[in-house]
Amino acid sequence: MSSDLPANVTRMGEATVIRDEDASTPVAVSFDHVTKRYKLFRNDKQRLLGTFIRSVPYDTVNASNDLSFEVPRGSSLALLGDNGAGKSTALKMITGVCFPTSGTVEVHGRVSALLELSAGFDMKLSGMENIDMRCQLWGLSKGESEKLIPEIVEFSELGKYIDQPMRTYSSGMRARLGFAFASSIRPDILVVDEALSVGDRKFAAKCKSRVRSIIAKENVTVLFVTHSTAMAKEFCEQGIVIQKGRAMFSGGIEDAIAYYTAS
Amino acid sequence: MFRTLRQLCAENWQWRRQVWNLAKIDLVKTYRGAALGKIWLFVKPAVYILVFWVALEFGLRSSSDVNGKPYLLWLSAGVFPWFFMSDMISTGSDVYRRYPYLVNRIKFPLSLISTFYTLSLLIIFSCMMGFTIVVCAICGIMPSVYLLQLPLVMAFMFVFWVSWSMALSPLSAISRDFSNLLKTLGTPFFWLSGILFDIGHWPRAARLVASFNPVTWVVQSVRDCFVYDRWFWADPESFLPFLAMLLVFVLLALHNYGRLYTEVPDVL
Repeated sequence: MSSDLPANVTRMGEATVIRDEDASTPVAVSFDHVTKRYKLFRNDKQRLLGTFIRSVPYDTVNASNDLSFEVPRGSSLALLGDNGAGKSTALKMITGVCFPTSGTVEVHGRVSALLELSAGFDMKLSGMENIDMRCQLWGLSKGESEKLIPEIVEFSELGKYIDQPMRTYSSGMRARLGFAFASSIRPDILVVDEALSVGDRKFAAKCKSRVRSIIAKENVTVLFVTHSTAMAKEFCEQGIVIQKGRAMFSGGIEDAIAYYTAS
Repeated sequence: MFRTLRQLCAENWQWRRQVWNLAKIDLVKTYRGAALGKIWLFVKPAVYILVFWVALEFGLRSSSDVNGKPYLLWLSAGVFPWFFMSDMISTGSDVYRRYPYLVNRIKFPLSLISTFYTLSLLIIFSCMMGFTIVVCAICGIMPSVYLLQLPLVMAFMFVFWVSWSMALSPLSAISRDFSNLLKTLGTPFFWLSGILFDIGHWPRAARLVASFNPVTWVVQSVRDCFVYDRWFWADPESFLPFLAMLLVFVLLALHNYGRLYTEVPDVL
């Protein structure tokens, strides 16, 4: 229980999370022997008992298993792996919505994630209110969000629908708004999760060119999560292959793809 | 535990602007989708009060002036805080399910969900209190000096019910059974308190049980402001049990939240 930790460090049992908004460090994201263990109980009742009594039996799954890698600032990197390899869990730990069981996760800079684009919105609120709320949660001042919101609305091509409740939107419309928001707020680290096939072909092309322009900026780190090697080759310089929660290979994108397709 | 307390205070302070805005958004969300919008804020309690009044005045014939104030005022001073508390008991104890996307889609400190939800309900409660004061003044009942303690009562309510929400929401997120149990508790919380009857006439044992019900203290101290004209700390028999419950729930909140907040996103 040391109380003299710096403000950006959180300790949770055996795990340490270091997170700040300093976008000048040479390393943007680093995982050091990170394990994420999910406890699987037979049912909700057992889970509730398990929070009080240690002896309640449960299964464990290590979604990330002793995972170590580093993402240098300004690079564009692909995380390659099959379904269930632990890519999404790793991304969730980078974005900060879930916490490691052990190991050290280090993230320097603000993260915006294009994860499951239609999520993260309140279905009862209108598109405009949602965007407004997300801008506030992102920490923008009133002036900044007033400047940014028209840009987001225009990119999403929602037109008059923007003032309708989200629950009336089609999945394509939600995804378009999600992409427009996450890519407009100028993050230091952008996480893209199979998101570039949003909407019709025309909109997908627009998304791709938006991501390309973000990658072109210096200092913005882009993380791609995909099992599409074509997409990885198109956008990334480097690749990491994840299998069963471990980083099996790390290097140039060509070599990473070769390793991934061979395995 | 102290570390959790410090972390909670730091988070709430750092995000104070967002907490305030989210409380307003929660209000919009509650009254959205209805043409009359804000009118519902007043119609629902008005109907409630009317029904209770009719039932008690004509059905049970138990209404008479209290401390020289109209029975209707006594009733309103009990039922308005109950609206706040019934929402806290049912929804407030399971608040992560109301905002699942803030738990596992966006990076957002979980403790703030309890804070801003309680705050939004407290805003509604303040509106009702303001409404009561205005109606009283129109009817010729001028506010007394004891009304000055109302903000303090509301501060106590805020701390208690935020702790309540933080202590129980993680458990509700883990188990549906637990959240259903708490929803069922709403009825005993209502009847085992002094909302509809003056508990002064109850047998001693029943009074003791009721005094450990936090609803009782809140209702009684709001009535102290409007009806009984006394300071709420002047009656230690109701204030001390409430303080004990407050302490229990603050400790429970720190313990449960500190132990479970990393698990909630995994299970929701």
